[in-house]
Amino acid sequence: MTALGLLRRRRALLNCAPISHDHLADRSMRAAVSRADGSDEFVNQQNFDRAVAELIRLVPLPPESAEWFLDKEAVRRPKWTWRRIILNPAVLAISIALVVIAGVFTFQVLGRLNDFPGSATARKLLTVAGSTRSVTLDPVSAEAGTLSDLFFMKHGLEHYDVPDEFADFRTIGCRVFDDDESQRIAQIWVAEKRMQFFLFPAERDSKTGAVLAFPGWRYVHQEGWVGAVTEHNGVCFMAALQGREKDLEPYLSGPKQ
Amino acid sequence: MLGDLRKAQEVFNTTLREAAVRAAQGELPTESFWLFREARWRCLEASKTDLQPESLEIEEHDVTPGAASQIKQLEPAQLAVWISAAPDPQRTALALFYLDEFNYLEILDIAELKLSMLSRCLSQGRRQLQAWLDAKHTGAPEI
Repeated sequence: MTALGLLRRRRALLNCAPISHDHLADRSMRAAVSRADGSDEFVNQQNFDRAVAELIRLVPLPPESAEWFLDKEAVRRPKWTWRRIILNPAVLAISIALVVIAGVFTFQVLGRLNDFPGSATARKLLTVAGSTRSVTLDPVSAEAGTLSDLFFMKHGLEHYDVPDEFADFRTIGCRVFDDDESQRIAQIWVAEKRMQFFLFPAERDSKTGAVLAFPGWRYVHQEGWVGAVTEHNGVCFMAALQGREKDLEPYLSGPKQ
Repeated sequence: MLGDLRKAQEVFNTTLREAAVRAAQGELPTESFWLFREARWRCLEASKTDLQPESLEIEEHDVTPGAASQIKQLEPAQLAVWISAAPDPQRTALALFYLDEFNYLEILDIAELKLSMLSRCLSQGRRQLQAWLDAKHTGAPEI
């Protein structure tokens, strides 16, 4: 709307400005009245209207009709019940938006509650586990616990040890690769339930360089895979399989979280 | 709207009767202001047979600060007759507005008017009433 159009509309609204403030129908009327409040012309108009309305109230009603209006309003204003307020489209839209925001917030908080140092890397490695084919690994048939020496001697990886709980498992293959943060990752494929093990450097404090250790086993989930992670000597070990926590539980000992 | 108690009573009765019959038949319209719209049309119908005022240029004056005291000196019936003599839709606009029961959106709905028209009716009505008041107080002949 042009400036002239707006002025015309405001003028038109002011001409229809209500006599009593109970009838300020909408925002545009309220804005027009608040802008004009105090101007001589508007004050004259309001006094004029009030005087006419007072006189109109004194116009005698036919007696038969008058009894209909004793102590009654001509127009019954709709009552603002809770049901009406809740079903108001604006209130409904805002409520839904708030519920969605609260849901996302809760989801993120719950996600954070399960976080531990190295959980982000563990999740990425679960994605790797889902996309790995056995042909991409060097075939190795041995007990998983014996691969620590291989990793140390061939790749110079110290403390890349498979915990006792998984040390006896027969391996199918293994490999060492760098992830997108140039961390050295060891991946082992075992025959048991087509499980995969990952060994990767534990997260360190960015200022002091100290290892951010955590006790026991922690679970991570990603794309239908579950991983149980533990930290020892600055290296994290993760046993991963496609399934749920209860599939991994029988293999773990010690405190689980 | 009518400036005549007897006619007003008749319109009131027939409108209520119509509402009662429709309610009994389960055909009462759900529109909020149906009853008022119905009453308005019956008022217009009832005044069709009256003597119609000649269309002439009615004098208009700006509303003055002293208007309120001038109005207080009027008899209510004089004002009712003055409003009922106005041509429609100005008559409807003035009657609904000065009843002080409706907001402007409700008046637009009942009188089936646009904002610009309602604004013109009210503004002209005020100016004409002011001119009439001025004429009365200076002893000029009444319109």
